[in-house]
Amino acid sequence: MSDQDQTHALRAELRQWLARNLPADWRDHQHGDNLPGFLAAQKAWFARLVEGGYATPHWPKDYAGGGRSLPEQIAIFEELARAGAPRMSLFFVSLYHAAMTLVECGTEAQRARHLPAILKGEIWCQGFSEPGAGSDLASLRTRAVRKGDRYIVSGQKIWSTLGQFADQCLLLVRTDSSGPKQGGITFLLMDMKSKGVEVRPIKQITGDEEFAEIFLDEVEIPVENLVGQENKGWKVAQVTLSSERGLTLVELTERLALSLWRLVAAAGGQERLDTQSARAVVDIAARIEALRAMLATLMSNRMSGQERVGDASILKLAYARLSRDFTALGLRLEGLAALRDTDYILGAGYETGNWMFDFLNSYQYNIAGGSNEIQRNIIAERVLGMPREALV
Amino acid sequence: MTVLDSETRIDPEEIRETAQRFLANKVERRAAWEGKDAGCAALEAEMAELGWYLLIVPEAQGGLGQSFEALAPIYEEMGRALAPSWLAGTMAAIDVLATGGHAEALSDLVGQGWRIATIVLPAGQTPDHAQVRIVGGADRATHLLLIAADGSAARLIPADAVGVSLVPVETWDRGRAYAALSVEGEQGSLAVDGSLALAVAQAHGDLALAWDSIGAASQCLSETIDYMLGRQQFGRPIASFQALKHRAADHKVALELARALARHASSAFARRSEGWAVLAAQSRILAVEAFRAIGEDAVQMHGGVGFTWEYNCHLFLKRALVNEVMDGTPDQIRDRIAAQVAAQAMG
Repeated sequence: MSDQDQTHALRAELRQWLARNLPADWRDHQHGDNLPGFLAAQKAWFARLVEGGYATPHWPKDYAGGGRSLPEQIAIFEELARAGAPRMSLFFVSLYHAAMTLVECGTEAQRARHLPAILKGEIWCQGFSEPGAGSDLASLRTRAVRKGDRYIVSGQKIWSTLGQFADQCLLLVRTDSSGPKQGGITFLLMDMKSKGVEVRPIKQITGDEEFAEIFLDEVEIPVENLVGQENKGWKVAQVTLSSERGLTLVELTERLALSLWRLVAAAGGQERLDTQSARAVVDIAARIEALRAMLATLMSNRMSGQERVGDASILKLAYARLSRDFTALGLRLEGLAALRDTDYILGAGYETGNWMFDFLNSYQYNIAGGSNEIQRNIIAERVLGMPREALV
Repeated sequence: MTVLDSETRIDPEEIRETAQRFLANKVERRAAWEGKDAGCAALEAEMAELGWYLLIVPEAQGGLGQSFEALAPIYEEMGRALAPSWLAGTMAAIDVLATGGHAEALSDLVGQGWRIATIVLPAGQTPDHAQVRIVGGADRATHLLLIAADGSAARLIPADAVGVSLVPVETWDRGRAYAALSVEGEQGSLAVDGSLALAVAQAHGDLALAWDSIGAASQCLSETIDYMLGRQQFGRPIASFQALKHRAADHKVALELARALARHASSAFARRSEGWAVLAAQSRILAVEAFRAIGEDAVQMHGGVGFTWEYNCHLFLKRALVNEVMDGTPDQIRDRIAAQVAAQAMG
């Protein structure tokens, strides 16, 4: 079978599987649900995906469901998005960041311990950013000192996605402050139940608590939890950060395209669309189509090893701005009605049913994973060849 | 239109390389701005020799049987070079005639070297009673393909027929020639299916302008960055200032979005696959607006010299402003496709 036929067959098979396995009424259940309900629904959906073999297409072949090509991985994300399935919020870091870091840089023992556990529902979070190290991540200051067969770690981490529910953490610490700042960083695996770990959820402007702060006070981490070598953690972190290979944007863009109807509905429906609103919808639709086309090119370049420097930044910035403009338009079209603080659907994409929530939430794409301003610097410097600003 | 197999398909990137070399040698983009002849006649004669006018003519009529994807790089490179010629009029007419199966007209077009201005008329006008104030490239046209805006009629008329008048019009975009058109009375002409002509000519024209704008905008952005790299103030190149870098990055994103959509739309149009008309129109909106923003900002980023006739910023800006409104403003295009876009969104 050719690659194309294989992807085609996979799509057909997945659609059939979704028809049997995606609970048709999950939105009703998640509409205005509480936190325990959300967690239970996430876990149940994840278990089904694992069972179907659709959670781990990017894992090595020796794991069930693994060994699929990038086009097949894209197909799975697209089909899940098009079917309106819940997002894999709670398990995304486990499946991608944690698993891929261990596959590429971990020890055999670390893989044997965690990969099967992840399939059974072990939840991971990322401990990278700090209050003083956001865009300038390499300036992180959480300190680890080696004592015998343990590291003693103290410091503070922030913006850990769903960190309050995590069992394990991918942790970046400083083990050397004497040389260049990237040089003294070490990558550790931390059990979140260790003594000295305190997690506080961060309440966002949406009212949701999707991120957490992690406080570390003399936390002991066994040396066997070192990933790669001491002081060589920066390279491992790059592997972690590139682990999802653009699939998140594939999924989010697909969900945005599917949510276009919400803009038309916000303007009063297809028959009652006034001229100004209709024009605005045309522009958003054009940008979504352009973004999909750009993503398709990026992914195919990535597969053939011809990705150009900075393309990922162009895409990220284009998506971030589109997500803001899309939700801002919905807010504007619906007018005062959009400002009612109604229940929304947890685990949805842009179909939460509340424009204000989606608009506020769109800031996260404009800040997380390299803010718009950082992306602009990268595009200007690496794509357009403009010099770095003189640092003072 | 048939989908081409790989044996007869000419690689668009080869066409691009040829076009780039050729245009770099032959186009003197400032000629018209310095009161000299833009060299349109000589350029078009050489384009004919290169076989460009045969590219999308079906093989049965002596052409090369290529699809729109062979033309896209030519439009883009002509935009980049700020070429004085309006190739799209003739090409859109060929596309219409080929789609409609007008073999005889195509043979005449190839044999006699017709140059055609393709015009979607203002609403309410008909091909035998029309007044259009500014038509691109009409001064050199041997024929006019006039299409009613509602698709009710389309006719191919010799430009020298009785009742047809073409008067050159000077515009702010001196780099290209324009004429005013007036048609009065019944013409001995070829009738073409109006709705087919409208759809094909509009999409072809939209994509041609999109690619022209993308080529010109990327050249304008690149020349502007070169200028900022060389221009020193406060002891450093102004290209190192973040305020300017971020603007340049935003322009680059807009340009790449337009390019991605134009590529997708060109492929859809070449195959006449689902949604081609809307995609072509959307490509044009993104492209002309990106070009306009880049053209405007280029003057500002050049500072004082951007305001001079001697520097080239105004060549790009003036072309951008024409491209934006040629054969319809972006809002008119939005209105044209809005109902289809909303219907698609509602599934």
